[in-house]
Amino acid sequence: MLDAVTLERRQGAGAVLNGVTYAGALAVGLGLSLAVLVAAGVPTGALFEELVVQVFLSPAGLARTVTMATPMMLGALAAALCLRLKFWNIGIEGQLWLGAICATGVALYDIGGPLKLPLMMVAAMVGGALWILPSAFLKMWLGVSEVIVTLLMSNIAFLFLQHLLFGAFGDPTFNFPTSPVFDAGERLVRFGWGDVNGGLVLALLAVIVAAVVLGWTRFGFAVKIAGDNPRAALALGFPTARVLLVSILAGGAMAGLAGGVIVAGTEFRLTQAVGWNMTFNGIVIAALARNTPIWIPVVSLFIAGLYAAGASLKVFYGVSEGIVLMAQGIILLALVTGSFVTTYRVRIARRGLA
Amino acid sequence: MTMALTAWLGAMPGFMTPLLLAALGLLLCERAGILNLGVEGVMALGAMVGAAASLAGWGPWAAMGAGALAGLAISLPFMAAVVVFRAPQIPAGLALAAIALGASAALGREASHKPFPGLDNLDWFDELDHLPVVGRMLFRQDGMVYVSLILAVLIALWLMRTRKGLRLRAVGEDPATADASGVDVQLYQLGAVGVASLLIGAAGAYLSVGGSNIWTEGMVAGRGWIALALVVFAQWSPIRAIAGAALFGGAEALIPRLQAMGVEVPVYLLSMLPYVLTIAVLVLMAFSRRARQAEPGFLGRAYIRQDR
Repeated sequence: MLDAVTLERRQGAGAVLNGVTYAGALAVGLGLSLAVLVAAGVPTGALFEELVVQVFLSPAGLARTVTMATPMMLGALAAALCLRLKFWNIGIEGQLWLGAICATGVALYDIGGPLKLPLMMVAAMVGGALWILPSAFLKMWLGVSEVIVTLLMSNIAFLFLQHLLFGAFGDPTFNFPTSPVFDAGERLVRFGWGDVNGGLVLALLAVIVAAVVLGWTRFGFAVKIAGDNPRAALALGFPTARVLLVSILAGGAMAGLAGGVIVAGTEFRLTQAVGWNMTFNGIVIAALARNTPIWIPVVSLFIAGLYAAGASLKVFYGVSEGIVLMAQGIILLALVTGSFVTTYRVRIARRGLA
Repeated sequence: MTMALTAWLGAMPGFMTPLLLAALGLLLCERAGILNLGVEGVMALGAMVGAAASLAGWGPWAAMGAGALAGLAISLPFMAAVVVFRAPQIPAGLALAAIALGASAALGREASHKPFPGLDNLDWFDELDHLPVVGRMLFRQDGMVYVSLILAVLIALWLMRTRKGLRLRAVGEDPATADASGVDVQLYQLGAVGVASLLIGAAGAYLSVGGSNIWTEGMVAGRGWIALALVVFAQWSPIRAIAGAALFGGAEALIPRLQAMGVEVPVYLLSMLPYVLTIAVLVLMAFSRRARQAEPGFLGRAYIRQDR
């Protein structure tokens, strides 16, 4: 098709072209999403009120948004740390569930005495890292595609979660599959502003550590080289395998920590609803933030705002929450389609030269 | 015991058919080098549209067709993104899954939890379905079960025994060579993803129209991801996909049967089997050179002529 058109790879697009493309794709994605909202029955006049004022400018609304954004930051780190090395982590939810399970286990079996809460968070990170380990191992030593293995591990994790909720972790006083409620010593501190809790500090800390390590250390430089050109990295004598393994395990640990933060920060118990859709959220936020840790909190707030607005649109206009998922999908598709402009240069062949 | 066995085998094709249809679609996509992670969402939309069409008074076959067309319609932006604009296939596929899942939830609220008449079992073999053990499995099924099996055989013949099938495989294996020998790479990719979207939409519609005769949000319940695993399990072969779908569908049909019989089974641990098996197959494939070559060589990568 279209034999008159040939594509050439660009040798790195300039900052201006990158910026304009990104802004343009975002504008197209947002515009289409707003059109979908209006088509779903939200009056045009109410859009600004619902999508900006209610979720970012009112103290209570902002608290809800920040609470939602907290685990999203960690989920996005889980995607971005792996993606920097071209490792597609499509199993964020699985690692998150394992983290939530490990943190819940520490809480239910009263392990660690006075150090119980920090131990819960450490256990969550270990659980997440362990759950991504088989995918990393199979990818690095046998060349098995991580896309399918992380996905499969995610499904296995969800079944394991259900197995525990209907069994060892179940609370017999409920007819609903949920763990017993956590005691006061097993909960992250609240700051008296809505449900905003200590998980926010952990998430921001994780973002800062990731930004410093990737931007200012020898390891971060090795990540950059190994991600851009693994063969060159090997030829230059970088410890590529170690860099890959550490980054991927760190990604899994961040997803696990997200699970720990959800159960100890907002839910106070383990349920099946923990971490719903976090794989997709993490990948969308990482894509919008261009895998750059510093941008992750900002983008997480934006996506969490979408969800918070979706919850109130459901109440006031009867709009399904599926619309939020659609909007995210539209924005992501616009973004990856837009990358065409920065990746390729289009040449139109003149007749006789084709 | 014979009763239970007959009942289990009789239920298996109903679980097998949606997996097989979706896997056949994905198999065509992947043979053309396109990884389609949108399958879960496209199935969800197919299930919803099939139900809505049935509720609007369409016949079951027309409703299946509506589900298939809905699958194609929602996949058009994805096709444009990955085939024409060479967008990275993994995020584009996930975006398609989100758009289609969201659309099925948003558009389907009127159709939710309303039973409707679905596909009936064929009565062509009335004498045969009383055969012990296998009678119900082979002869008391709806038409779609047989259609999906026939489709699998036809797709296998087309892929392996025709010139066009060879070209499609070449596109997924080595698009530069295919291009140089005059094959229109993008046209084949568009065709493959288009037909795949129809099949995946039909797979979803079968869940509501052929299976439960009702639509509820979330009824696809991960079957799209299972179908993705099934393609790897079947090593990109349509005939092996039949065996894989029978195995995975049989496992799915077994669990409610065991529970009904009062057998104490760790249901959720048993349900892990298909996934664990698929990972085992991936590991075995990595060790066998012949199996490694089953995966289309250019799967998931963007081809431009300059790279030749």
